[in-house]
Amino acid sequence: MADVVTIPQVQPVQPVLRFLRVIPGVLLLAAIGYAGKLLEQNVGAYAKAHHWTFPNIEYVLWAIVLGLLISNTVGVPEIFRSGVATYEFWLKAGIVLLGARFLLGDILKLGGISLLLVAIEITGSIAFMTFLGRAFKLKPKLTSLLAVGSAVCGVSAIIAAKGAIDADDEDSSFSIAAILALGAFALFTFPVIGHFLHLSDKAYGLWAGLGVDNTAEATAAGALYSDAAAKLAVLVKSTRNAMIGFVVLAYAIYWAGKGKAHAVGNKAAFLWQKFPKFVLGFLLVSVLATYHFFSKDQVGAVANLSRWAFLLTFAGVGLRTNFQEMRKQGLRPFAVGAIGEVVIAAFTLGLVYSASKLFAW
Amino acid sequence: MSETAIAVRTQSRWKLSLDSWAVLVALLAALLIRAGVFKHIPW
Repeated sequence: MADVVTIPQVQPVQPVLRFLRVIPGVLLLAAIGYAGKLLEQNVGAYAKAHHWTFPNIEYVLWAIVLGLLISNTVGVPEIFRSGVATYEFWLKAGIVLLGARFLLGDILKLGGISLLLVAIEITGSIAFMTFLGRAFKLKPKLTSLLAVGSAVCGVSAIIAAKGAIDADDEDSSFSIAAILALGAFALFTFPVIGHFLHLSDKAYGLWAGLGVDNTAEATAAGALYSDAAAKLAVLVKSTRNAMIGFVVLAYAIYWAGKGKAHAVGNKAAFLWQKFPKFVLGFLLVSVLATYHFFSKDQVGAVANLSRWAFLLTFAGVGLRTNFQEMRKQGLRPFAVGAIGEVVIAAFTLGLVYSASKLFAW
Repeated sequence: MSETAIAVRTQSRWKLSLDSWAVLVALLAALLIRAGVFKHIPW
């Protein structure tokens, strides 16, 4: 009698099924974002009608707070999770479309200044986080991940560096949790400090782009201040993002030299693989807008589409932030991240403040 | 009775990263606006 051979097959997830799976979460993002927009319009009007003193709260903050409330009370049900995770997709699409509101000349002018500030910020952040990691006796690779995350661009940089330096999953979870917790904290503190110091939109936007690590939080922190500040925060943050490949490559070479990571073969291919492609999309749309590919009305429509994409992103920022999960990650990496971030925020504020005096912004 | 488990690994045909998909979708949307398919996007 022949043996019965069972062949369990791993079924590929069909693209259509994958698409259907994200719909509930995307609808939730849209519902929360739109609720934030409605609250912005109606709460202020209601308070005014009843002669209450109530601060004007932007849709950005409403969307984030509603997301935070859901995530930290009832939690995000499983059915919504795949869709909620698309907030990064909307963020990147929104940044590409935002390119329509930048003329190439502005990017080159601001890009030059921001490139200089970004170079100083990256060098200072890496040096300080490495010093802190050693002082707190953290594992060396965990220190590297925290340094990359705080110097360049938060979660994406940590994920890119994790693969390049063969870091543990646990270390990358620690680093991501620390960066996200501090990003959430920055959302509420940066605008208050900015208003307290009477920073101009330009100075504040530069500071948010330099001092807030994750792109979604940097965009939200800028938008909480003003539309113009959000534009600049995105530009500066994108300049930082563009550096990801170089910083991760340097770390990969360092750890490979110690025999604790794979050697990097083709460095150009490595840089291209790590380069955030949305920065190129942003530049392309900006070039098209500069050379009048779009009419004035069309530029307005593209910019509004970018705002809708950001609306979904801000809802996602709140929904994916769960303070209980973050607490589980332990205190020491968080303490290192917190001290580092406060010092980096103060350092970048000093940089921006000096630059604003120097260039009379 | 022998049992053989063969995991069939399928190579994904969709190799674009999330980044690249976001760029493509955003560019497509911008082109549709340019072509006049979407004339006005309210905010």
